[in-house]
Amino acid sequence: MIELRHAGKKFRQGTRQIQALRDVTLVIKKGEFLSIMGPSGSGKSTLLNLMGGLDQPTEGEVFLDGRPLHGITDNEVTLLRRRHIGYVFQFFNLLPLLTAAENVGLPLLLDGLPFSQVKPRACALLRQVGLAERTEHRPDQLSGGEMQRVAIARALIANPAVLLADEPTGNLDSHTSEEIFLLLKSLNNQGQTIVMVTHDPKAAAYGSRIVTLKDGAPAQDISIGEHES
Amino acid sequence: MSIKYAILGILAKKDLHGYELKAGFDATIGEFWSLNFGQIYSTLDRLEKDGLVTHDRQSQDKRPDRKIFSITAEGRTELTQWLSAPIARVRALRDEFFIKLVFMDKDNPAAVLALIEKQKTLHLKHMNKLTRRKIALKTEADNPDALTTELLVDVGLFHAEADIKWLTHCEIKIKAALGGKE
Ligand SMILES: Nc1ncnc2c1ncn2[C@@H]1O[C@H](COP(=O)(O)OP(=O)(O)OP(=O)(O)O)[C@@H](O)[C@H]1O
Ligand SMILES: [Mg+2]
Repeated sequence: MIELRHAGKKFRQGTRQIQALRDVTLVIKKGEFLSIMGPSGSGKSTLLNLMGGLDQPTEGEVFLDGRPLHGITDNEVTLLRRRHIGYVFQFFNLLPLLTAAENVGLPLLLDGLPFSQVKPRACALLRQVGLAERTEHRPDQLSGGEMQRVAIARALIANPAVLLADEPTGNLDSHTSEEIFLLLKSLNNQGQTIVMVTHDPKAAAYGSRIVTLKDGAPAQDISIGEHES
Repeated sequence: MSIKYAILGILAKKDLHGYELKAGFDATIGEFWSLNFGQIYSTLDRLEKDGLVTHDRQSQDKRPDRKIFSITAEGRTELTQWLSAPIARVRALRDEFFIKLVFMDKDNPAAVLALIEKQKTLHLKHMNKLTRRKIALKTEADNPDALTTELLVDVGLFHAEADIKWLTHCEIKIKAALGGKE
């Protein structure tokens, strides 16, 4: 599914160089729910961005279903991303002037499909995340938890190979967060591959595997799968 | 001393004999706290002496009489008072881990850090187990104790989370102290 081979990422800041990630070799299998944990600045978001093609590695290689995400043009990356990767951010990133259904359909609208064709699937996804009654609401008419559900539905619109989530409940209270994790877990039970970045152990515990990062490199790889008891 | 109140709580709903009482205990809090018959009977003895519980004899075919326990009016008052009073003493830090930390070799921080790492992994695995239990509870709609069990699972998760946060905090402080020396 996703494979990183000796992937690294350096950022240049003025004259200084920051090694945000170093020598990450990691395979994420289809159907896995991987949690990535680590202290602030350990490289979690950078790692997720490499997996999602939002950023390119400065060393090593990244593959999605055997297709390289490194060393290809921006246009190629954008297409891959829109068609194969669902991304959920901490701050939802919904467009304020669009309704929930339009926000959910946006990735396909950007691909040139007419809304009439996209809407039924957008509404079906909103129903799946428990928002059947909110399809015509704009983001400012929704609660934080509801906005994140819309963002999850949007991430799923193109049937992505993998759903990537960066601190998806960083802004939500503990009960609302739990509902989001239960939603992610039920998607995973239906076969959706998920990678979630979090510094919250309660969130990480929903995963079937936890990788911890330390100073830009994997420190621990804890498999807790469904089989162990 | 909470065994006493757990037993009063169970008897407040229904008169029961010893065996049923243990089954009731196991069904409500057994997942987190296991009692043997000895503990149940000795607690029942004390409760009877204090007048909080009483019993009736029920005769059985070819077998000795069996005792049916019930809560008394004093027992109910005591239970109500206990239920509404907050707990004065917060959780004691008697964890074996704290003792290990106290006696760890301060000149060999690598060993302390390795222990912290192992402890964190264990906590995470424990949290994963609890989380799976919690997800399973969501499907047990007909289980009348599902909500209380979920809340108990939650407290286990919150405690484990606090422990992990504290262990991470220890890690950072120990490393910072080392950095200062070098
Ligand atoms: N665009 C960038 N330019 C320069 N440095 C960056 C950039 N993005 C990240 N970094 C640096 O890379 C390191 C890792 O950052 P990253 O955002 O991946 O950490 P994180 O683990 O996600 O932290 P947090 O939990 O705070 O979100 C940090 O030192 C950060 O300052
Ligand atoms: Mg981050």
